[in-house]
Amino acid sequence: MSPAVSKINSQLSAFTFIAKLWQNEAVSSNGLPLTANSISIFGRFQILKSFRNDNLTQYLNIERGKHERTIVISEYYGSSLNETSNKNIQYENILKIFYQCMTGLSFIHNNDIVHHNLEPSNVLIDEWHNVKLFNYGFYYMTRGDEDCEEYVTFPIGSNIRYIAPERILGNNGNPKSDVWSLGMIIAELVFGISLWTNLKFPIIARKILSYCTTTGSVLEKIARDHNCLEVYNNLNSDFKDLLESCLAVESKNRPTCHEILNSSIFIHHQESIAFKVHKKGIRELAPMERLEISQIYYLWQLTGGDVHSELKKEGLIRSEAPILTVPRLVLLQSSKSMPNYKSQSSLFDQRVVILNTKNLSDRLALIPKRAFYPLLHCPRLPYNFGAEMRNLPLVIRERNIEYQFYRVVLFSRLLKGYPYTRDLIIEEAKKDIPPFLRGKIWAALLNVIPTGRYEKVDKVTPNQTDRQIEVDIPRCHQYDELLSSPTGHYKLKRLLKAWVTSHPQYVYWQGLDSLTAPFLVTNFNDEETAFLSLYNFIPKYLHNFFLKDNSIIIKEYLTKFSQLVTFHEPALSKHLNTISFIPELFAIPWVLTMFSHVFPLHKILHLWDRLLIGDSSYPLFIGVAILKQLKSTLREAGFNECILLFSDLPDIIMDTCVIAADEMYEKTPKSICHRKHVWRTEELEIFDITNIELSDIQKEISPRISANNLIYLLKEKPNQVVVFDLRPQNDYKRWHIRGSINLPYTNLMLSDRRLESINVERNTLQDKVVVVISVSHDNASLFADFLVDCEISMVSILHNSINTLHSILPSNLFGT
Amino acid sequence: MANNQRGGGIQRPNGATQNKICQFKLVLLGESAVGKSSLVLRFVKGQFHEYQESTIGAAFLTQTVHIEETAVKFEIWDTAGQERYHSLAPMYYRGAQAAIVVYDIQNQDSFVRAQTWVKELQRQASPNIVIALAGNKADLAASRAVDYEEAKQYADENGLLFMETSAKTAVNVNEIFLAIAKKLPKNEGTGPQQNIRPSGNETNRTSGNCCSK
Ligand SMILES: Nc1nc2c(ncn2[C@@H]2O[C@H](COP(=O)(O)OP(=O)(O)OP(=O)(O)O)[C@@H](O)[C@H]2O)c(=O)[nH]1
Ligand SMILES: [Mg+2]
Repeated sequence: MSPAVSKINSQLSAFTFIAKLWQNEAVSSNGLPLTANSISIFGRFQILKSFRNDNLTQYLNIERGKHERTIVISEYYGSSLNETSNKNIQYENILKIFYQCMTGLSFIHNNDIVHHNLEPSNVLIDEWHNVKLFNYGFYYMTRGDEDCEEYVTFPIGSNIRYIAPERILGNNGNPKSDVWSLGMIIAELVFGISLWTNLKFPIIARKILSYCTTTGSVLEKIARDHNCLEVYNNLNSDFKDLLESCLAVESKNRPTCHEILNSSIFIHHQESIAFKVHKKGIRELAPMERLEISQIYYLWQLTGGDVHSELKKEGLIRSEAPILTVPRLVLLQSSKSMPNYKSQSSLFDQRVVILNTKNLSDRLALIPKRAFYPLLHCPRLPYNFGAEMRNLPLVIRERNIEYQFYRVVLFSRLLKGYPYTRDLIIEEAKKDIPPFLRGKIWAALLNVIPTGRYEKVDKVTPNQTDRQIEVDIPRCHQYDELLSSPTGHYKLKRLLKAWVTSHPQYVYWQGLDSLTAPFLVTNFNDEETAFLSLYNFIPKYLHNFFLKDNSIIIKEYLTKFSQLVTFHEPALSKHLNTISFIPELFAIPWVLTMFSHVFPLHKILHLWDRLLIGDSSYPLFIGVAILKQLKSTLREAGFNECILLFSDLPDIIMDTCVIAADEMYEKTPKSICHRKHVWRTEELEIFDITNIELSDIQKEISPRISANNLIYLLKEKPNQVVVFDLRPQNDYKRWHIRGSINLPYTNLMLSDRRLESINVERNTLQDKVVVVISVSHDNASLFADFLVDCEISMVSILHNSINTLHSILPSNLFGT
Repeated sequence: MANNQRGGGIQRPNGATQNKICQFKLVLLGESAVGKSSLVLRFVKGQFHEYQESTIGAAFLTQTVHIEETAVKFEIWDTAGQERYHSLAPMYYRGAQAAIVVYDIQNQDSFVRAQTWVKELQRQASPNIVIALAGNKADLAASRAVDYEEAKQYADENGLLFMETSAKTAVNVNEIFLAIAKKLPKNEGTGPQQNIRPSGNETNRTSGNCCSK
């Protein structure tokens, strides 16, 4: 496939190969099946996506198909050196190519990656002779760290002409080998030749090896071989020396990339040889040129782009007739069959396919130009494009290319201004969070500011938690490709150990692995952000839950949970109490992991999108919403059925669940959720809820409300609150809250558990916060229980007696 | 009451309504990652998941086995193995009529831990609890760290049922549950209407195994 130089230099491309297949039934020493090699590659690949360098094409994604099929999607740039004529490239341009290749190489070497795949087809150039190296991570992604175990069966760097002698002899992993390869490529340019076009593979190999046993300049020998001695003799001597040093037979005599970049011939020309494209004005840019390549790839997928089918179309993936996969040889005695080994060529096809982006560019052409550069702080101009789609279901919004385009562009801008734009980010995140930027947006919501501190945290010293972490990680969301890869295991372990070491007051509880997983998958290439997100998340939602003895904290949380179930779902709560279906038996994993242990990742991500904009009480509402969604089943069920239902949590529809949670969260006065064990940024006041003991609230079915919250409701939302005042009539006459209903406790006959018995119409209480006030807290409690029995929702009890209220009630709220 | 609507007795197609149903609460205890959840999954669903999730708090499942004319329904609490969750354990073993204490034959520490569980059960659980010791991951005998003989002797001394099991290959999984079922008293007191947290009234336990009508 030869991609012609098109007007837009950066394109999407893909190539494919097959990872090494394990024999059936291969197991590791712990009895578990061996990790699929494509999964190992998948994990290693990730870091490559984060590389940004002018002289490197950008890796975009990796996908796995059936039978270890692996597809790598990457930027393609201009056309390859292979396809451009070698002849007559001017000296300045050769210098430029040399320099830019070195810059790219130097970048990957600094990241401890060797190219080993350097040949003209992987050097891409544009019309100005700018260079981007292509597929420089192939060798890296297909080898493990330990003993260079290989995840593929074919060699990387198949063109023998450019392979350094030590690699021919089997020594891999030396960055200096890349310097040799580049030397050979540059030599071709200098002499205007293609090396040994008519020689066969073994002959070329022997030729290169013969250089090692004879003395004299390799460059000169090449020149002689190709009748270019004259050119050789006339070469600029500095340049010649440099190139010859690159082709030193002994790798230790070759300079490093860094040394080459600092050599005098480059230092003096830096201006003219660095990467530079002729910038077009904003107006001249095609829509696709206004976006980053990673954004283009993301949006391309949303336009229905499917790399598997593109590769099929181009014949890179062929399906074989099933008959061909029948073993050719079956040994009767060993009951083993010899698999049909695929030929080398079917394992790795060198071709690169350019992905068709016409659909995408058509769609982008219809988007108003202004939307590419939303002006955030210019009130005259709208920056909120796509608002009309806001009410569509989330799944539709997430798959809509225009909508995601607006969101990605907007959030990218906002994130550039973070932390100053944090308020706006929160506002926008309330609408929805584009999956493409989730990790970064979450971090912003959690107030994360990377400081480099993570690097200094000890993540390696062995300690007694290690065993638990080690047995938990291979059980943590292993259906996920990232988390099941060796790279994923390695990173998760580091994060957990780092968290434990930086919190001497806390310990590792099983479940912390699940809690960390969502942060890791959303920031796979940015451990520090993943770490800091976790670091800030825990105090916000799980303050003190990881104390060695957390029983008080859990008890308080679950008690509050029960109260909230009663508050919003009194009938259900009654039933669950009758069958002793207590939260201790089912909700501990919910709470301790913020649901990350009980749902699959894709659901957790959506759940946490909401959770992160709520406060520490929000997760309680998720819990209530889950019960609410299962209400009809639960109400019919006995203890066993209920608990079975939760041992294997059924399909909770996350969208519905989140909407229900939101609704309840909005309706619920803050103090209803009061817990002592939360991490407070502000002090409580006397008219908030303070001084309340766990043993007290454990006795109360309905939650308490603070005087502050009650007054707020009376003032701001008088139609949403009903107050029952249980004092004797005389006291009530002396003073009372305007609109409150006086039901003197002594006259009440609560044995008749029907609302009619107290002469209150059900519909007057519908959808309102019901507040019971009394001089005696016990009486208030008993009356609240009565209301709950009558299945009245949102019943609460005023915290502290009514007399406190008297002192702060605004005069206009006194009744007459 | 919760289970009333189900009435008593499994209706067999052949109309044999003589069957008794006994319901027992069984708890699994043991160090983390020894394979408690895997054993339950194998017993209840006949499956094995290599990447079985760790257990937080506890999980609950039920399974019924038939012994002669009696249907024995196990209500199984599979607990979290990490030591920190220890404080929750009494909630699950209190009132249990049976327990399986699991260790991993590859891991000596897990065997020591199993012994502490047995001691705790003998001290704190109901006095007639039937305890079985399971040396799990028997399929990995090649990397064995706990001797069969040693464990067997310990079990005998303490009056425990004992088997080496493998949740992966299913070896001895049903067997260990059946052995427990046989050893449990099946008198009228343990009817289906009984709650998950039984009162522990098993004083009139008959000796021997399955009761006959
Ligand atoms: N080879 C082999 N592996 C097993 C066997 N039983 C369990 N495993 C594996 O051991 C690991 C732990 O099993 P679990 O069932 O999760 O262990 P657990 O005791 O429930 O652990 P906690 O929930 O943490 O207390 C899993 O990876 C299982 O696949 C077995 O019989 N043979
Ligand atoms: Mg378990």
